[in-house]
Amino acid sequence: MTGLLEIRSLSAGYGPMRVIHDLDLVVHAGERLAIMGLNGHGKTTLFRAILGLTDWQTGSILLGGREIGGRRMSAPGRRTHRIAASGVALLPQGDAIFPGLTVEQNVLTGVTSSGTWRRRRGRLDSVLEIFPPLRPLLDMPVGKMSGGERRMVSLARGLMGDNRVFLVDEPSLGLAPKIAAGVIDALGQVELGEGAMVIAEQSIPLLSGRMDRILGMHSGQIKQDAADAFAGISVDH
Amino acid sequence: METLVAVLVSTLSLAAGYGLLAIGISLTWSSLGLLNLAHGITFGFAGYGAWWFGTEVSANPVGVVIAGVVTGAFTGLVVVAVAFLPIKRQENFPVRSLTITLALNLVGTQILLRVFGPKAKNIPSVFTFDSINLFGTVILPDRTGMIVTAAVVLLATLIWFRRSRSGLRVRALMQNPEGAALVGVSLNRTAVVVMMVSGALAGLSAVLLQEIFFASPYSWSTPLIKGLVIALLGGLGSIPGALLAALVLGATEAGTARFVGGQYVLYTQFALVVGVLLARPRGIGGLLDEVREADE
Repeated sequence: MTGLLEIRSLSAGYGPMRVIHDLDLVVHAGERLAIMGLNGHGKTTLFRAILGLTDWQTGSILLGGREIGGRRMSAPGRRTHRIAASGVALLPQGDAIFPGLTVEQNVLTGVTSSGTWRRRRGRLDSVLEIFPPLRPLLDMPVGKMSGGERRMVSLARGLMGDNRVFLVDEPSLGLAPKIAAGVIDALGQVELGEGAMVIAEQSIPLLSGRMDRILGMHSGQIKQDAADAFAGISVDH
Repeated sequence: METLVAVLVSTLSLAAGYGLLAIGISLTWSSLGLLNLAHGITFGFAGYGAWWFGTEVSANPVGVVIAGVVTGAFTGLVVVAVAFLPIKRQENFPVRSLTITLALNLVGTQILLRVFGPKAKNIPSVFTFDSINLFGTVILPDRTGMIVTAAVVLLATLIWFRRSRSGLRVRALMQNPEGAALVGVSLNRTAVVVMMVSGALAGLSAVLLQEIFFASPYSWSTPLIKGLVIALLGGLGSIPGALLAALVLGATEAGTARFVGGQYVLYTQFALVVGVLLARPRGIGGLLDEVREADE
């Protein structure tokens, strides 16, 4: 069985620093996968490497059998728009939203093809069903909104495109527990079809029971058992 | 009353011509981080394009306008190919691109001198309808035509910027380049679109302002300065700000020329700009609208 997203011996980092060490990961079509790990062990860097945003990377990343990774020693971000357009949505930590645009305009920027642009009203409606709190806020500039609302805008934007892989980076970060649970619920409602969703999180209880598979991440490598990622580490919060 | 109408008409027509130039400069800076001094030579080439078409092909007004607009858009394409695409990821991009676009002005001027000679060329009149008499003031057709054309085109540009998918992508790029890449916005493609639209607007401006500037190898420098000043005053990146600034500078120019003397126009304009920027460093639109931070 081949995966939708196949990562083979990926290393990546910033400047002289290597954050991802020779990492292998296969994401299958239709699955929800969680990657658990503490801060600083490379979850965000893994996602950024998949989008070509790290300073450098080596190794192979196949999306539906097509290479979107490869060796790259400079020019972070040069290929990002092409990787994004090929169907990988990164829903980044915090938010990479456009503060001067309204909620509706922000969400509409997520449309990745002119065909979908013509059907944008219908697509917007179905996305708003997943995030009902956004509906009355459509004309509000995003810069004035709360953290939870901004996170929803950022997630809704990712759902507007014709994406196959959703990489969701710490959706609960900085949110009150109740709101975080609401965001995770909303992510659970997204119909994946032949796509897949990968969620990076620090909090196991939040995700338990909602995911098809949970992997751990420790020191830039994937551990098959999530508990390993937390073993022997003193957590100071 | 007559004086007032005359000053008003003069204000609007100057604002129309300069506003078309300023919006291109403002958009280019805020989306690409490129302060495009070659906007001047784009204006210059477009004037020659319109003149060449008018004398060599046909004096049909529509043809002349299209020739100017197309030449402007094409020059914009050349500028983005030389001064943006090859160097956009290099260190000190703002300074490098500034130098290259300034050099393009000088190279372009030499090309125009060599090919067409130093003599100014007269672009055929575009607007041939009758003059309008308003409260005893005769308004020449090129003034009315200029104001109406610019108003329509600027409105269309504003709608494109606010409503269309490509306009939305340009605005996304202005506010968060990495976020824009994450939704599939290509910097190169957006750069080409922005520079061709800016060039086309500069080309239209060249045809509309022809009664004042003609087409000559050096005629671009004053319009470039006015365009830059308006873009700065309006808050780089803000289209409404640029339009307001164009009206303010147009009024200052028309009022000064009428009541003080044409030779003092630049004095009052620069005094005004310095005053406004001292009070509001991000210009008129800087606080109203989204703008790119200068240090980004």
